[in-house]
Amino acid sequence: MNLKTKNATATLGLPLLAITAVVPLVVKDAYTLHSLTMIIYFAYMASAWNFVCGYVGQMSLGHSVFAGVSGYVTVLLFTGTGLSPWGGMLLGGCMAAVLSTFIGYPTFKLKGPYFTLTTIAFAEIVRIWLENTDEFMGIPLKGAQGLVVPPSPLGWQVFQFDGKVAYYYIALALLIVMLAATIALERSRLGYYLKAIRGDRNGAEALGINPTRYSLVALSISAFMTGLGGAFYAQFFRYINPERNMGLDLSIDTAIMSIVGGQGTVLGPVLGALILHPLAELTRSYLGGRFLGLHLIIYGVVLIVAVLYFPKGVIVPLERWLQRSGKSKR
Amino acid sequence: MDPIILMYAIINGVLLGGIYGGVALGLSLIFGVLRVINFAHGSFLMLAMYASYALWTAFGIHPYAGVLVTVPLLFAFGYFTQAVIIAPLFKRETALVVEPLGALLLTTGVFLVIDNGVLMTFGPDVRSVSTEFASGSISVMSLPINIPRLIGCLSALLIAVGLAYWLRHTDTGRSIRATAQNRDAAALSGIHVGKVYNITFGIGAAILGVFGALLVPFLSITPTTGLSFGIKSFLVVVLGGIGSIPGSLLGGILLGVFESVASQFVTATSASVFSFCLFIAVLLVRPNGLLGRK
Amino acid sequence: MSRKILEVKSISKRFGGLQAVSNLSFDIAEGEILGLLGPNGAGKTTAFNLIAGFFQADEGEIKFEGKQIRGMLPYQICRAGIARTFQLSKPFGGLSALENIMVGAFAREKSRPAARDEACAVLDFLGMADKADIDANDLTAFDKRKLELGRALATRPRLLLMDEVVAGATPSEAGEMVDLVKRVRNRGVTILIVEHVMKVIMGLSDRVIVMEQGQLIANGVPAEVVRMPSVLKAYFGEGYVSGGEYVSASA
Repeated sequence: MNLKTKNATATLGLPLLAITAVVPLVVKDAYTLHSLTMIIYFAYMASAWNFVCGYVGQMSLGHSVFAGVSGYVTVLLFTGTGLSPWGGMLLGGCMAAVLSTFIGYPTFKLKGPYFTLTTIAFAEIVRIWLENTDEFMGIPLKGAQGLVVPPSPLGWQVFQFDGKVAYYYIALALLIVMLAATIALERSRLGYYLKAIRGDRNGAEALGINPTRYSLVALSISAFMTGLGGAFYAQFFRYINPERNMGLDLSIDTAIMSIVGGQGTVLGPVLGALILHPLAELTRSYLGGRFLGLHLIIYGVVLIVAVLYFPKGVIVPLERWLQRSGKSKR
Repeated sequence: MDPIILMYAIINGVLLGGIYGGVALGLSLIFGVLRVINFAHGSFLMLAMYASYALWTAFGIHPYAGVLVTVPLLFAFGYFTQAVIIAPLFKRETALVVEPLGALLLTTGVFLVIDNGVLMTFGPDVRSVSTEFASGSISVMSLPINIPRLIGCLSALLIAVGLAYWLRHTDTGRSIRATAQNRDAAALSGIHVGKVYNITFGIGAAILGVFGALLVPFLSITPTTGLSFGIKSFLVVVLGGIGSIPGSLLGGILLGVFESVASQFVTATSASVFSFCLFIAVLLVRPNGLLGRK
Repeated sequence: MSRKILEVKSISKRFGGLQAVSNLSFDIAEGEILGLLGPNGAGKTTAFNLIAGFFQADEGEIKFEGKQIRGMLPYQICRAGIARTFQLSKPFGGLSALENIMVGAFAREKSRPAARDEACAVLDFLGMADKADIDANDLTAFDKRKLELGRALATRPRLLLMDEVVAGATPSEAGEMVDLVKRVRNRGVTILIVEHVMKVIMGLSDRVIVMEQGQLIANGVPAEVVRMPSVLKAYFGEGYVSGGEYVSASA
C-alpha cells in the first residue's frame, strides 16, 4: 500500500506547528506547559524510533537504552567535569550511536520477533548492570538510586532554566529537526533502501543493497536523536535513574505511539503521541490514585485495536478523510 | 567453594529449572504451531498465580486443589485470546501486509492489559501464601529438598511426557502436529485450522494454569512476576529450541542450574544479566537452540 | 569469437545429503543469450543462485569479466555488474512502480532526480509508463514480472540472470516478454535464462546448456541439443530413447 501522506503532512503539519509555536504565549500555567512539553517530547522520541524501525520494518523494544546511556553520560560529564549539557548531550548522543552499532551489527541479521527480543535483552543488560553498580572506575553511578542534577547559578549556559517555557521550545526545536530529518530520509537513497529492505530483503540485496550497512546507518542516526532526547529528559527533571530512563516501559511507549500513529510516515508518530500521551495523563490525574496502571491498560487496548483495525496507523483513515473533504493538493 | 553448597545449588537449580521448562512448554507449543511469540506468556502465568492466591484467601482452597479452577480458567483465557484477538490477523495474512510482528504486537497489548489489570486489582504489594500441607522439605542424602519445588519439577516432567504422548496418539494431538508442519496441507485434509489454533493456545495457557498454582506455595507474587517469568520462558525456549518438548525441559534445567550456581557468586539480579548474555549468544550462534527444529 | 563474460569452472554445491550441483563448467560469451534447461530437480536454480551469490559454491571458480566472484555476497555481485530476477516476483510494497525501479537505479545514481530519470526510462522501455504511480502490489501478475525485470535493468548490468520469466503468462504476454528480452540483449546485455517453457527458450537462446541431477549433459545450439539422446532421456525417460512403448511427442 502506497502511504501517500502528503496531504496529512502538509494540511495538518504546518498549522499544527504554528499552533504549537504560539501556545506558550497564551498558556502560562506551569502544569499545562509541563504536560505539553512532555507531549512534544514523546512525539520526538516516537519519531526518532520511527526513523529506523518504521522504515526498515524491524521492531526494537530496547530503544530506551540509547536515551538512558546518553542521559547518564550528559549528567556525569556535567557533575564530574562541569561540561555544559549543551555539549554533553552531543557527546551522549554520539555514545548512544556507537552503542547502537555494537547492538545493531549482530542483531539485524535476526528475523522479526527474534530481533525484538534481542533488543530487549541488550537494553535490560545495560539497565540491570547500572541498577546494581554503585561505582565504576571511580565514576559514581549510584545504581538504582539514580543521579540528581544539582541546580547551578550558570542557568541557561548549563541547560537549566526557570519555568517551563524554555524547555518547551527546546523540545519543539528538537521535534522540528527530527521531522525535517524524516522528510529528508523519505526523499533520500537511504529511505528508499530501507523500504526495500523492509519489503523484500533478498530482492534488495540483489539490487546492490547491503542490508546491514544501511540499517546500521539509520539506527545510529535514530540512536543519536534518541540520545539527545534522553539528555533533554534528564535535564528537564534534573534526575535520572535506570528504571525511568532506560526501562522497558519507555521503549514500549515510544514504539506504540509510532505504531498506532502510523510507522513509516512523517506525521504518524506525532499523531500517536498526540493521542496516547494526553490519554495517559488524563487517566493518571483523574483516576491515578485508585486505578494504578489504568493508563497502560488503555495503551494495551488501543494497541490491540490499532493492530486489528488500523494496521498502518491512524494516519491512514485520517489521510483518506482529508482527501475526501476536498482539501487534497493533488 | 564448599562442595555441599554447590551440590545443593545444583539440585535446587535442577528443580527450579524443571519448573522453568514446564512453564515454557506452552510458549514453545504455541510458537511451534502458530508461529506466534506470545509476549503475554508470563502474564498468563501470573494470572494463574493470582487466581490461586485469591481462591486461597477467599475460600481457603489450597493451591493444589485450586488447580481444578485455574486450569479451565486459563484454558478459556488462552482460547479467547487466540479466537478473538489474534485470529483476525491470520485472516488478513493473505493480503501481503507487512505483518510479521502483528501477532507480537497483539500479545504485547494483551500483556499490558493483564499485567496492569492485576496491578490495579491487587495493588503493587507482595503477596504470599503459606500452607501446611505439602510444605517444608524432605531430606535426601542429608540435603534438604524443598517439597513444593520437588512437586513442581515432577509435575513438569509428567506434563511434558503427557503432552508428548497426547500429541502423538490422539486425533486432536495429531491435528495439531499436522497443522504445525504444514498449515495448508492440514487445511486441505479437512482439519479446521482455526479451531486447532484456538485449542493449542488454550492448552498452552492451561499448562500455565497448573504451574501458577504449583508456584504459589513457595514463591511470593507481585505484579512484576509475570514479566520476569515471561522473559525466563523466552530464554528457555531459545536455549532448548523452539517447538521441542524435551528441549524446553533441557533449556529450563540449564537455565535453572546456571542461575542457581551463579547466584552463589553474584547477586541474583546480576546473574540475570548473564542469562541475557547467554540468550543473545545462543540466538546469534545457534538460533535453533540445542534441540530445536525450525 | 567474442570474449567470455562469465566463466564457470567446476562448481559444486552440496546440501546435507544432496549433491545439488556437481562439477559444473560452462562459459557465456559476451552478447549471447544462453538458455539453461533441465528437468525439475536438475539443479538449475541452485546453479543460478551460486552465480548470483545467494549460495556459496563448495568448490570451483566463477569468473565475471576475468574477475573472481565466487564468495561474493549478492549485493557485491550486483555492484560488479550482474543482476538477477526472482522466480517469485515480490515487489517492494508501499512503493509505486516507479519507486520500485528507482531502488534499482540508486545502485548507479546517487541523487533522487537522476534515479528518477533512469527509472522513467526503464518504465518506458517496459511499456509501463502509464503505471508509474500505481502501488506495485496492485499491479497484475505479469506487470509485476516486468517490474522485476525493470528493477534489475535499472542497475545497469552487463550480465542479466533471468529465472523463469514467463511462468504463468498467457501466450501473448509470453510473446511480449520474449520481445523484451531480445531488446535487452540488443542493448548490449548478456543474458542467462532459466526457463521451462520450451518454445520460449528455444526461440530465444543462441545456445543452450542442459543440466540433469546437478551435472551438465549437453551444450550447443538449440536445434542440435533438442535431438541429443541424453537430453531426451533426461526429459522423457529411458523408454523414449530406446524406442520402447512411448509414442514420440510431436515437434
